[in-house]
Amino acid sequence: MAKVNRIRVPMRELPAEERIKNFNSVPLGYIEEEAVAEAQRCIHCEDPPCEKNCPLNMEIKAMIKEIGQGNFKEAFLIAKKDNPIPAIAGRVCPQETQCEENCNMRKIGDPINIGKLGAFVADWAMKNKSSEEFQIKERRGKIAVVGSGPAGISCAVDLRKLGYRVTLFEALHKAGGVLQYGIPAFRLPKDIVNYELSYLQKIGVDVCLNSIVGQNILFNELRKEFDAIFLGTGAGAPRFLGIEGEKLMGVYSANEFLIRVNLMKSYKFPEYDTPLIVGDKVGVIGAGNVAMDAARCAKRLGAKKVYILYRRTKKEAPARAEELQHALEEGVTFKELVNPTKVLGNKDGWITGIELIKMKLSKPDSSGRPRPEKIAGTEFAMELDTIVDALGTKPNRLFLSRTSELETEPYGGIKVNGNLMTNIEGVTAGGDAISGGATVIIALGDGRKAAKSIHEYLTKLYR
Amino acid sequence: MYKITRKENLNTDDYLIEVEAPNVAYRFKPGNFVVLIAVPKGERIPMSIQKAEDGKITMFIKKLGKTTIELDKSKVGDSIEQVIGPMGNPPEIKKYGNVVFSSDLVCGHAENYAMCKELKKIEGNYVISMQTFSNRSQIYPENELSKNFSDEYYLTTLDGSYGIKGHYKNVLKDFLDKGKIDFIFAGGDLPALRDLAKLTKPYDVPTIVTVRQVMVDATGMCGSCRVFVDGEMKLTCIDGPMFDAHKLNFEDIIRRMAMYKKKEAEAMEYYNKRNKSIE
Repeated sequence: MAKVNRIRVPMRELPAEERIKNFNSVPLGYIEEEAVAEAQRCIHCEDPPCEKNCPLNMEIKAMIKEIGQGNFKEAFLIAKKDNPIPAIAGRVCPQETQCEENCNMRKIGDPINIGKLGAFVADWAMKNKSSEEFQIKERRGKIAVVGSGPAGISCAVDLRKLGYRVTLFEALHKAGGVLQYGIPAFRLPKDIVNYELSYLQKIGVDVCLNSIVGQNILFNELRKEFDAIFLGTGAGAPRFLGIEGEKLMGVYSANEFLIRVNLMKSYKFPEYDTPLIVGDKVGVIGAGNVAMDAARCAKRLGAKKVYILYRRTKKEAPARAEELQHALEEGVTFKELVNPTKVLGNKDGWITGIELIKMKLSKPDSSGRPRPEKIAGTEFAMELDTIVDALGTKPNRLFLSRTSELETEPYGGIKVNGNLMTNIEGVTAGGDAISGGATVIIALGDGRKAAKSIHEYLTKLYR
Repeated sequence: MYKITRKENLNTDDYLIEVEAPNVAYRFKPGNFVVLIAVPKGERIPMSIQKAEDGKITMFIKKLGKTTIELDKSKVGDSIEQVIGPMGNPPEIKKYGNVVFSSDLVCGHAENYAMCKELKKIEGNYVISMQTFSNRSQIYPENELSKNFSDEYYLTTLDGSYGIKGHYKNVLKDFLDKGKIDFIFAGGDLPALRDLAKLTKPYDVPTIVTVRQVMVDATGMCGSCRVFVDGEMKLTCIDGPMFDAHKLNFEDIIRRMAMYKKKEAEAMEYYNKRNKSIE
């Protein structure tokens, strides 16, 4: 047997100094030769740990094998079979804690770059206009899918392929949910998102935009008109710190900041109408992926200094390693062990800075991470022109406040059983709407699981 | 795409535009608003509705910035990119007794019309409508005023060139002094609404005003339109747009409304330049 290469085929990326000038994709993607070489590093484990750790149980081993043999179309078909949006998942999944986490290659070197291989085959299929062939046998049953984010997409695709009539409702004027409004183009190019979404129409899913369930379509109307429902309403509502001065101008929620940039294309203002105010010094509160996205956007929008302000240390940061690394490469400064106590402003109502208090780590809390504690008397001020609160999100109360019959968890998520069924018969839910903060791939997995539940429910109903 | 079926000037600054938007029209209740995207690269802006009939909605719009000036150039038969709604949480249409709706600006005038029309249908309501314009030439055409849906109607001009001289607040004060008012709705200029709140507070007359802060998605996602009601954060898009005037922090609202002034000027300049180069 040929000697396996312990080291990954490196992913070519735009140099940092180049990429902070635009919103182009940072990873440049494997070319065919690179993908083949990376795939050939795979040792084809008998009981592949990568597949077990994938929320979609994709047939990763088989996909990699085909890539290694240069059979890109076959590889694509394998990926697409279990994942309706492989080009997206390959880019934004946290592979290091999923498929790549237990890769046996890790024991002797780098794990296989499964994410980038997945993206490669999907991109290859897009470029070569290659698609799967299938026939849909129409079946009795009308299903409403609420929310066109990853959970909604996978649920809609699976149910449509089973032959049901599926209508997908989206509140915004573009489909895609967080893929469209949340994740910046340098991480997930919007032409990729739009291409993957075009698949929905191609297989005959009816997509209704500007349809805000609970607002301009009532949940009860859906219940009357459809035989089953999936709720993939996400966790769209922002959290604020709730400290003094937060109502000053110059304070954004990460949601608003990113919606302006991604959905409304503020980075092309004034060609696009929607403005965004980014000062010279920007402070982003939080250290998750959203915080990294906001910080990296701020850099690209001309901020001279961008700070991540985090109450724990880099080690505990919830962001993916790759995102954190990219942010640092781009010149974002990570300030550890600080917590905001007050937003400082001038008499015109604009912020001038932030007051922070130093923190120390003590015993682990319920999240398993060391609990940050304030060090009394260590408050200090920092000059800032823009503050972005990236403190996580919560389920949108617009929908929940108008669906009182739906049971929820204390934290606001929709309550479901093991099959993702809610307390209402025929109504399922998944993704951030139940967890409050999942990943794209978990949402895809939920959508798929809910589709299965709905299929079982309707099969029983029509028997 | 949403087809424009009627477009007329209301005065030199304001115009009305009617568009086909069956779902919005079907579900509209007074107090609801819509979000417009005028052109493909456009911003999402909230807009008041005056009327919703036969699958069409009518909006009153002021030529204020790039979007509204560009939209003013459109003609009947043209289309608006997106009309989204109805949005917001409308007030209950019920018996309020002697109920006022007063307004002094374009959006307020649209809401005045829509609200009075429905309030008048409820038995036991005595609807008093007040509308203020700057001068005689700025008064809207008669059939766009809320005159026809009120038991008493007061038209005032700031310079006194028509109707009663001064702001509607003066008229309202007389009513309050006589103890004749049970409930007040109002919309329009924010500083005037702030003054209205101060005026009605000592009389203890419930006063509900429309405030719409800068919005982006208008579905409760971005938090841009946050206002403070008794110190508690509320979103004008989903909790509003109508709030208890006696509990609102107006200084904060007025300040934040001007947040994008510089950017708006930049957008306008870019638009003018682009138009020149096309010519």
